[in-house]
Amino acid sequence: MAELETEGVSRRGFLKVCSLAAGAVGLPAWAGEKMAEKAAGSAKPPVIWLHFQECTGCSESLLRTSAPDVAELILGLVSLDYHETLMVPSGYQAEKSLEESMEKNAGNYVLVVEGAIPTKDNGIYCRVGGHTAVETAKKVAAKAAAVISIGSCASWGGIPSADPNPTGAVGVDKVVTGKPVVNIPGCPANPYNLLGTVLQFATFGTLPALDGLGRPKFAYARTIHEDCPRRPHFDAGRFAQKYGDEGHREGYCLYKLGCKGPATHANCSLNHFVEMPGAWPVGIGHPCVGCTEQKIGFRVPLHDTVDVERPTAPGTYPPIHPDHSVITPAVVGASAAIVGALVGAGYVATKKITADSEKHAGKE
Amino acid sequence: MSDHDHPRAIGGKPFDPLMKTLLAIFGVSAVVMVYRFFTGVGPVSNMTDGFTWGIWEPVNVVVFTGIGAGAYGVALLCYLLNKGKYHVLVRPAVLLGAICYTLGASSIVIALGRYWNSYWLAVPTMWNLSSALLEVAVCVLSYVAVLWIEVLPSVLDGAAQSKSSAWSQLGRTWGPLLAKAMPYIIALAILLPTMHQSSLGGLLLIAGPKVHPLWHTALLPTLFLISCLSMGYGAVVVLTTILNLTWKAKHDQRLFAEMSKVNAGLLLLYVVLRLGDIAIHGKLAYLGFNGYTLLFVVEIALFLVPAFMFFSPRVQQNKGRLFGAALLTVAAGASYRVDTYLSVYRPAPGWDYFPSFGEIIVTIGMAAIGMAIFIFISRMFPVVVVETRDHSHAGSGRVLTAGSR
Amino acid sequence: MSISRRSLLKGAVVAGAATALVGRAEAREEVEPRPDAVGMLYDSTRCIGCRACVTRCKEANSLPYDRTAEGIHDAPTDLNSNTKNIIKVWTAGEKSAFTKQQCMHCVDPSCVSVCMMGALHKEGEGKRDFAGEKKGTGVVLYDKGTCVGCRYCQIACAFNVPKFEWFEAFPLIVKCELCRHRGDPKKEGPLAIANPACCEACPREAVVYGKREALLAEAKRRLAEDPKRYNGLIYGEKEGGGTQVLYLAGAGVTFKQLGMPELPEESSASFSERVSHAPYLHGITPIALYGAMAFVIRRNKSKEEASEHHGEGK
Repeated sequence: MAELETEGVSRRGFLKVCSLAAGAVGLPAWAGEKMAEKAAGSAKPPVIWLHFQECTGCSESLLRTSAPDVAELILGLVSLDYHETLMVPSGYQAEKSLEESMEKNAGNYVLVVEGAIPTKDNGIYCRVGGHTAVETAKKVAAKAAAVISIGSCASWGGIPSADPNPTGAVGVDKVVTGKPVVNIPGCPANPYNLLGTVLQFATFGTLPALDGLGRPKFAYARTIHEDCPRRPHFDAGRFAQKYGDEGHREGYCLYKLGCKGPATHANCSLNHFVEMPGAWPVGIGHPCVGCTEQKIGFRVPLHDTVDVERPTAPGTYPPIHPDHSVITPAVVGASAAIVGALVGAGYVATKKITADSEKHAGKE
Repeated sequence: MSDHDHPRAIGGKPFDPLMKTLLAIFGVSAVVMVYRFFTGVGPVSNMTDGFTWGIWEPVNVVVFTGIGAGAYGVALLCYLLNKGKYHVLVRPAVLLGAICYTLGASSIVIALGRYWNSYWLAVPTMWNLSSALLEVAVCVLSYVAVLWIEVLPSVLDGAAQSKSSAWSQLGRTWGPLLAKAMPYIIALAILLPTMHQSSLGGLLLIAGPKVHPLWHTALLPTLFLISCLSMGYGAVVVLTTILNLTWKAKHDQRLFAEMSKVNAGLLLLYVVLRLGDIAIHGKLAYLGFNGYTLLFVVEIALFLVPAFMFFSPRVQQNKGRLFGAALLTVAAGASYRVDTYLSVYRPAPGWDYFPSFGEIIVTIGMAAIGMAIFIFISRMFPVVVVETRDHSHAGSGRVLTAGSR
Repeated sequence: MSISRRSLLKGAVVAGAATALVGRAEAREEVEPRPDAVGMLYDSTRCIGCRACVTRCKEANSLPYDRTAEGIHDAPTDLNSNTKNIIKVWTAGEKSAFTKQQCMHCVDPSCVSVCMMGALHKEGEGKRDFAGEKKGTGVVLYDKGTCVGCRYCQIACAFNVPKFEWFEAFPLIVKCELCRHRGDPKKEGPLAIANPACCEACPREAVVYGKREALLAEAKRRLAEDPKRYNGLIYGEKEGGGTQVLYLAGAGVTFKQLGMPELPEESSASFSERVSHAPYLHGITPIALYGAMAFVIRRNKSKEEASEHHGEGK
């Protein structure tokens, strides 16, 4: 602890961070304390961070988190052994520290991958230090305890894999086999979801429960729509019709502008970015683009609307006796014609037989 | 009975233009019916949870069987009251009844949602005896069988006269045996319709809150029983008149006039019971300037007008007028039945109903195939008693179109 | 001939009179609420229209959504094959009141009376042996194995509760079965049969689950405690022979306004069975009638044949 405090981190502040992270993973407060204890001790979880086809947005958003700030994070909570953007060394020196860390922490370190891996033409579209992304990922993952794909690119290709996917970009779990891979999609991913996962692993040696797409359930089980602060407007049928119209200025629901919230699983509506209230797309008046969904983000056009996954009742009630009318004029007309024809035929037939019969009687 | 009163097969080309038309109409409806089995009842009908029986039950079952009750009415006169002169009418009436009831029963299968479970109907331990519909279902199904057994003598007669020796042997062996069993079958053929025709009215007793008070009464079973007889007698007159025009079927005006007097009594009984019931239960207040009153008045008029017509000598002596009056009795019964089941049935505010094209086509198709079967069987087997003094074959052109509603 | 006819008429008169007399004596008894009957009490004055019960009902019964035309809301307008429970609103000017619709679990249900093979039946009283069904709770259950889909239940039910899957090739009748599949064995006595999700979801105990007797007592207690709050009546205590789901409504609101039919104290089932069963005398009438008719017909026929001298009967 003394070591940490010299870095300008108070014990209380550190505990708070750990509690926040524990809360994010769905663990009780005592787990936060335990995480803090563990992290304060010597055994900080070693982390190796690889960058492939990406924009570094995920790293950037991690850096902009204020609690913990970047120093706290990389010096106090984890032991970040290799991160191309943040590390001081470069070139051969940098590659050496990667090798060293892999040797020293073999089987213990956490591998975080940022960015998609190109597979087309033997993966020549992304090389670092002379090695293709495929080679590096496979090599580093082989000795890792767990692999975390941060961001949508690492999770399943993200933007680089958008049509027509010129480099054959795929997610990490398509390249790395035989290791548990946790996907933390998002563009960028919410840093807390990464932190929670890493700390849980470091403290308890377990990974969080995952959904069908490999996403931690603590963050991705529910849709944005379910916890959206604009939800009452949706239920009441109040929608922004276009950007800047009255409804948009009033903060109405953005569904009709193409919000993908009703089909997008993520905790954005609860855990805003970088602890800034309202710092997330819907908060600033832009529809959710569905970045955490493999089938939506960068696939479905921005302003197309999506199906609502779990619809609930609107803000209006049915009356006691709702209208169930089924009558259409065409069929009424046709039926009238049929009945008319029957009556007419009966009448004509009667007339005719009567006349014939009278004639017959007359003859006899 | 003399020899020339015996029925005989009409013969002739089986596929004349009328037959082709009837089969074509049925073909269209068959498409709808098959479609229904793949998609459910909803897509082909306008039936809703409010009007759950649409027109298939009120028309295909309740009205068709009412028309088919001619078999019941004639059997009652001919066998129970021993009026042998009505024998001439038995076979056509029974065939009409068999066809109408078969159509009613098959319409039910089309309308039933879970038709594959119907086999339970054959297991008496499963019966819920308090269900009026159960009684209707079991009675109607048994009655269909009884009616076709009643049609059998025609078939066996036909077989006996056949050239093929095996076929003829079959007819000669089984004909007399069947004749011996007939009284017990006929007794069943009178008991069953008495039960289920009244139960058809009884079906709606439980829907008290939904049926307009002018129609909902404890007398529903009685009124349905009476109206089935009046419809049945009317239908027999209509049928025989048409058969007379097309195939020179024997048409005994005096017999019809007499039967129609019975019918007039029934019609008047119906009106007296109906009006009396309304008056006694203080329901006259429901009469006023509204649609229900209009329906009610039209209905009562449809019962009263033919009743008085039947008593008039001008009608009794004229084939056409009697035919018209008989048509009116069928219309009277049909309108009473459709009104009770449909027009004055209101599940709750907000619901309404009018049949869809699919439903109408199925109903018309059923009627068409019924006519086709009647024509086919009459051509093949001795059903219709033909006037013997005129042996020239009845041309089916001009008159047929006039008579073929 | 005339003799046989006269005797027949005489016989008919005697039979008719006997029927009328015995029929009255044999009239079906009114069904009383079973002592172990369970049900629900809905208090319209407590309901805030949150519709948690509607959503939870769908979840608990795995019912499909009933999407609006735009597809974004689950908005059934009425009970239907996707909806076993619904909240509706009555409004008149400034005044409004919520109401809840689901199966009323009648004491003497019309649907059970009319169901041909007991597909709709009171718990444990169906036509088949149902494992795990106890007698006495009076919950109206559905057995799809004996349902033929005749939809007579829909005609008979005064509350229009049973619904039909119109757009299915193999449809079912759908209605509230009081969440019998969520039955909770830990609950005491008859209450273990069910555990309605709507009651569990309600944040204000506007709808509660319990024994009918207890609920009736509770309803009376509420009426006595705060008479100004209510219209003073308990719907379902007597209506239509009584129901096992009871309703309270606010002052100045009638149950008719909340969509409840105005029913006499005699149940429709009782009326219908009384009228249509009386003439049958437990099956004696048809058998006697059959015997008599067979006798008359046979005699008539042999007479006719004798008069014809050669057997030409048909």
